[in-house]
Amino acid sequence: MSATPLLSDTEKKFIRRHPSWSLWLRRPLNVFFTFALLAAYAAFLLPDKETSPPFWLYFSIALFILLALGSSGNVLADPDKPEVLKMGVALLLIALLCWLFYRYSGAQWDRLREFFFNWEKLKGNWWLLRNGLGVTLLLAFISALGSVVVGLLVAVLRSFDSRTLNLFLIAYVDIFRSVPMIVIMVVLFFALPFAGISLGSITTTVVALSLGYGAYASESFRAGIESVHAGQIEAARSLGLSRWQTIRMIILPQAVPVVIPPLTGNLVAMLKDTAVASLVAAPELLKRARELYTSKTNPTPLVAAALIYLAVLIPLVRVVNVLENRLKR
Amino acid sequence: MSGAMNDSDIMIEVVDLHKHFKDLHVLKGVSTVVTRSEVVAIMGPSGGGKSTFLRCLNRLEEPSSGHIYIEGVDIMAPYIDINRVRTEIGMVFQSFNLFPHLTALENIKLAPVHVRKISEKEADERGMALLDKVGLVDKAHVYPEQLSGGQQQRVAIARALAMQPQIMFFDEPTSALDPEMIGEVLDVMRTMAKEGMTMMVVSHEMGFIREAADRILFLADGLIVEEGTPDRIFSDSRHQRTKEFLSKIL
Repeated sequence: MSATPLLSDTEKKFIRRHPSWSLWLRRPLNVFFTFALLAAYAAFLLPDKETSPPFWLYFSIALFILLALGSSGNVLADPDKPEVLKMGVALLLIALLCWLFYRYSGAQWDRLREFFFNWEKLKGNWWLLRNGLGVTLLLAFISALGSVVVGLLVAVLRSFDSRTLNLFLIAYVDIFRSVPMIVIMVVLFFALPFAGISLGSITTTVVALSLGYGAYASESFRAGIESVHAGQIEAARSLGLSRWQTIRMIILPQAVPVVIPPLTGNLVAMLKDTAVASLVAAPELLKRARELYTSKTNPTPLVAAALIYLAVLIPLVRVVNVLENRLKR
Repeated sequence: MSGAMNDSDIMIEVVDLHKHFKDLHVLKGVSTVVTRSEVVAIMGPSGGGKSTFLRCLNRLEEPSSGHIYIEGVDIMAPYIDINRVRTEIGMVFQSFNLFPHLTALENIKLAPVHVRKISEKEADERGMALLDKVGLVDKAHVYPEQLSGGQQQRVAIARALAMQPQIMFFDEPTSALDPEMIGEVLDVMRTMAKEGMTMMVVSHEMGFIREAADRILFLADGLIVEEGTPDRIFSDSRHQRTKEFLSKIL
């Protein structure tokens, strides 16, 4: 035990006390033995799957899981243990639970692999997914520009505080924020032709995403514009700057840094929503994957698409996080 | 500005100015005349309409009725370009309102370059001269957040002066300052008054008013209750409201 520091009686009253057995279990040697014990338990005491054990044996599995969680928790909660050890214990725990699932679930692993991870089926067809990804990124890029322009325009117009104008702008924002993207797109694609307007699938997607996410962007921009102190505007106007000059040189330079993190978050969400365009047959990633899924009668292309979305979006999500943290400072 | 100085030149004339905020009648018919180089202090209890009065004069607040003449021009007339009028009236605020995304010098240059359309180089020279005047040459490239309150307010004064206005408005310029910084701001204002700037100052700095102001307007309940020279008002105020107010702050 470490040397007890000199404490007053009052301080002693407020010391956090752990049960002595939990402290005893935290000693390095005992930690080692605990896990050795668990390993032995797993190897010799856990029932075999094939033999369909009697009911009471399930309790021994439950007991094993409880012991594993408890002993790991005891290590994770110890402030004196190094982080490396904690990480190792956490990974061990996850591996253990996966192994238990693998051992006792009725999963048909071979068939799972054959259906969902049958990369043979994708041979010679990767270029389709690559083209799809290209279309997805293009759609996202154009719609991002569109939604930022729409959002900025709406927010600036709203800052003029014209009652009549605001009525229409609020109606636009509220409608497009409450209708699901999929519905907007379907209406634009399938209903508008009856009104004599038919947009191609790409145009439909860009218009739908720009209007839909423009509504969200306008709210972000509005929050940014309103975060600029009223005194800033008064100071600018008192110097003789026009309303437009004030917006351009005083308000926006202060509002934009505030707006960038939520806006980037919106744009990442929009990149995901381009998948909805597969409904109106825009040849983007999900559409391509679904085509392959049909022609190969195998869902592996969908898994591939999921992995591609993941690979593209995870870095972007991280970037949003970094931007948000930078703003907080 | 140099040129023919004539003490009877009328810079500002206000006739029966009213201002309503919804149900609130803030200004109930204010009339006064300010001549060239005059320094007018506006005093009175809070809520009496001092700031609103000043802000109506360059239409930062839109007056409900009445007439305002700046150098003889009715600035309430529909054909008036109010931005042009405001270039002739510098304004200094209680909360400084420097632009936080611009350095001190950029704050000063912004309006001369984009409104007066003078060249960058000339604006630089003018800006540095003004910073010299307020004693902040070494802070030219510093952002407002790195300046003390007193320094910020002096930059704000330089920013207003950079437009070379005919008139300066001060809306409680020292109220947000720590006591030890009030002096440096008042010094700058005193210099301006000596140089013949026409000034309207909402303030309760008795020392400054006694020394620099030509006239006090005492504003209460939306009306000019009393006006006169500082000596007369401070020693021999005739109106009950003025007496009560002065007895509280003296």
